[in-house]
Parts: sequence; structure tokens; C-alpha cells
Amino acid sequence: MRPLLAIKFITSLRHAVLLCMLAVCLPARVAAAESAEPAIVAIAHPATSSDSISRASLRAIFGMLLPTWPGDTPIKVFVLRDDAPEHAAFSKTVLQVFPHQLRMAWDRQVFSGQGQYPEVVASMPEMLSRVASTPGAIGYAKASEVNQNVRVLKIR
Amino acid sequence: MCVYSRFASAASLVVTVAGWLLAAPGALALDLLDGNIQVHGFASLTLVNTSDNNFFGRSDDRISKDYSEVGLNASWRLMPDLQVSAQVLSHRAGGTDDGQVRLDYGLLDWTALSSEEGRGGIRLGRVKAAYGLYNRTRDVPFTRPSIVLPQSIYFERTRNLTVAADGADLYAERFGDSGTLSASFIYGQPQTDTEAAEVALVGLNRPGHLDSNPAPDFQIMYDGSGGLYRLALTTARLKLRYKPGVGDRLQAGEFKLTPVILSAQYNAEDWSLTSEYAFRRTSVSDFGPFFYNSKADGRSYYIQGTYRLTPQWEALLRYDVYYADINDRQGTKFAAATGQPGFTRFAKDWTVGVRFDVTPQFMLRLEAHRVDGTGFLPVQDNPDSRALRQYWNNVMLQASFRF
Repeated sequence: MRPLLAIKFITSLRHAVLLCMLAVCLPARVAAAESAEPAIVAIAHPATSSDSISRASLRAIFGMLLPTWPGDTPIKVFVLRDDAPEHAAFSKTVLQVFPHQLRMAWDRQVFSGQGQYPEVVASMPEMLSRVASTPGAIGYAKASEVNQNVRVLKIR
Repeated sequence: MCVYSRFASAASLVVTVAGWLLAAPGALALDLLDGNIQVHGFASLTLVNTSDNNFFGRSDDRISKDYSEVGLNASWRLMPDLQVSAQVLSHRAGGTDDGQVRLDYGLLDWTALSSEEGRGGIRLGRVKAAYGLYNRTRDVPFTRPSIVLPQSIYFERTRNLTVAADGADLYAERFGDSGTLSASFIYGQPQTDTEAAEVALVGLNRPGHLDSNPAPDFQIMYDGSGGLYRLALTTARLKLRYKPGVGDRLQAGEFKLTPVILSAQYNAEDWSLTSEYAFRRTSVSDFGPFFYNSKADGRSYYIQGTYRLTPQWEALLRYDVYYADINDRQGTKFAAATGQPGFTRFAKDWTVGVRFDVTPQFMLRLEAHRVDGTGFLPVQDNPDSRALRQYWNNVMLQASFRF
């Protein structure tokens, strides 16, 4: 009797898996189609040694894996809250990492003693002023709002 | 009395943390010295109900509250390439862990080399062991895919053997255009000084004790396209010797455990697919006639899908399989040799679950398991093997906070 129940349970779970897979395909398509997000660029303190950076290095920096710039200036990472549209746009279009993946990577490091979280700022104006005033700072901004006090980092 | 006071203290901590978070929703964490010192923590409480058998305390046809986790950590970046961090943890888990506060990790991390292409360094002290995808943060509810990790690989029963090691972790990472390749080699002393680790291997009420040699643990991982997919290989070698006590029926035996774990994960925007496969070769020898001396070729695997329905809701489906010995899957030979039920040598666990992130700090989870076999159940919660049932259900509800 019990094995029979188990078989029925497994069969119904199989159906559920198929349904889930079908359901998964639809939103994935929709997400790929929308790309009208604001143009976001990486910005750094004006004294930063170069004005371009590879995507791999940028991912390592925002993944909190790289402690210093070439020349030993400590890197200081600023981000907005996870649910800020600019954070999502920067993660997805510039880093090409989903924001929740970034969060998981930070959590894994912080709760195993291997790293720290980036500093969260409350708004885009605060991001611009903190990056402009902190040596070694890196963050991001809307391309239309970038000012003279920060340096735009181009992706190599 | 003691258990109740521990429960009360854990519960009061949860309430305090909750109150604090509600009072100051902006203060996610404690940052001192311009963010160079960070303090974080978490707390969880879980209710467990099983149809048969006990899991995390007396859960058979009743509700057990004997599973909780409370952790507090601090990290201090002394210099850009030097960080000290430590975490204390209270982990209550039925008969296997009474929730005594322990040092979970405490280490000095020196990133000796770093450039835009990669980094390398050493961590010294009590370091978290690399073991599959989830071990390093196995007690942190927010980093897990479910209330309990797949038990075929992340045993609660023998967790102390693989949770951390006192020694060194040499690591190297290369940041490539297509992904990050990382390697970690740990050499250190596993924690065998707790009763739980001993009971899982030699059984209840033994007068002797187990000692371990320093053990090597190696992991290589490839994190492709910023975490779109992750591939890992982990291998470790544990050697434990039993020192018999006065009037002991067991002789000076030896355990050798050499697990190899293959891990793969694919992360799309709304869903993740994860699978891990473990080869667990174990050798038990020289314990004498009153023990099951054997060589076994254990196998474990699971396949798990998670789907983010909305940013706050996530659904989980998993099938998890454990065989103590692939050459004796049903435990027939074991049953003939020991008189114990054969179904204690395997477990097949179907799991469905939901996660609800009420806020970024407060998470609720509900999970149901349908299990065939009792292979991963600890003897401390199930001392009478005649009372075990092969088919059983398990429903769990968990609330957790973090800051």
C-alpha cells in the first residue's frame, strides 16, 4: 500500500516538474525582451589610475574579491540597495550578474569569514558625492547624471 | 529545565533582534571605523513534525522545537590585504547538539597577492571547510536553498567532522573574462571533540573516544559568467582512531572516510537548477567482533530546482538519495550481519518547499519531506531501531532573522 502511495506521489511530482519547466520558459523570454533600462556606467574616484577596466576585474571588485587598485590604494565599493532600479540595471547590463547572485556571493563570504559587504548608500546623489570624496572609491551612476567630480570607467 | 532555559534564551534573542530591526529598519548592520569593522548575525527557530521517527528532537506525532540557530560575527579589515573575522554559533539540533555556544570560525585572512587578474592568500585559524556548494555557510538559513540541506551530502549527524578545521586554508583565484577559477586547499584538525561526532560513528554510550589526524580538504570551483553556472570538485580525507575506554567491548579501530563531491549549478534570472553527486568511500576496521567492520562504497546525490515566483516568494522541489553502500543498496547484507533494519542504510527524500522573504531581514519557510528509508537519522533521536519506520513524512516551518 505504502509503496503504491509513493509511486503515485512521485508521478504527481513528475507532472509538477514538467509544469514548472513550462512556467519557467515564459517569464525568461519576457525578461530577455525588455532592455529599455537606463544607461548605467561604472564610476570611480578621480585619482583612479586608469579610465578603463576589464569586466572580469569589475566583477571581482563588486564581488568584494579584490582589495586594492594597482598601486595599492584600497578599493572602497559603494552600492545602492538591492531593490534600487539602478542597482539592478548596473548588475545586469554592466557586470552581467543577477543582483540576487551578487547578494548570495556577498552572504557566502561574510558568513564564512572570507570578506565584507560593500557600503550601501541611500541615493544616487549620495553615491556621486561619496565616490567623488573617497580615495579608491568605486560605484555606478546613470550616464546622464555623471559630473566632473568622478571618473567614468569604460569596459575594456 | 536546562533545555527550556536555552530555548527561552534563543527565543528572547530572536524577539530582541526582531524588535530592534522593526524599530530601526534602516540600520541593516553595524559598521564601525568607516565600515572597516562589520558586525552581522542571524537567528532561526524551526518547528518539526514527523509522521514516524524523530528528526531534530521528539517530533514523532508531535511538534519539536529543538532546532534553532543563533550566530553573531564580526570582521575587521585591519589593512586592505588583511582581515580578521570570527563567528560564534549556537546550534540546537535535537539529541545531536544542545546549542552550546561554539566558535564557528575565527581566522586571519591575508591576501598576499592580488592584481586585476586574480588573487591568492592564506587563512589561518579555525577555517570553514570547503565541502560541496553549501558547507561554508551551512548554518546560515538565508544562504541555504531549504530549511535543511540535502541530508545525503550535508549530514546533520556528522556535521562536526566537516563544519570547520583548525589549521590553514591556502587559496588562489583567477578572474577570467568568462569566469572565475578558484582553488582552496585546507589542512587542519577536524572537530571530533564533541559527543555528536563520536556517537554518529561508534554509537551511543561508548566509554572510549575518537581522535582525528589533521585532514586535507581540497576544492576547485569554476564560477562561470558571474555565477550563471558554478562547477566544483571537492575531495577530503578523514582518518579517525578509536581509543577504547575501561571495560570497552570495542577495540582500537579506525575509520577512513574519503568523500569526493561533484557539484553543478545553473542560475537563470528566475530559477536555479542544482545537483551534487558524492562518492563516499568508508573503511571501518579493527574494532573487533562487536562492531560492523566493513568497507563501503557510499553514494549520494540530489537534484534540486528553485523557482523565484516573485522577488519575495521562492518554490523548491528536490529529490535526494543516500546509499550507505552502493553494493548493498537495500541494506540486506547489513541486516543479516547486524540484525538492524536494512532501511537504515539508505534514504530517498522528496522535498517540496516555499520561501517567503517578508523583508530582507525576515524570512519564513515551509517544507515537506516524503522519505523512504532512515539512513540519515541520528541515533540520539532514535535510540531504538525497532521503533523506526521505513516510510515517513516530515513537515517543517522555520522563521529566521538576520542583520
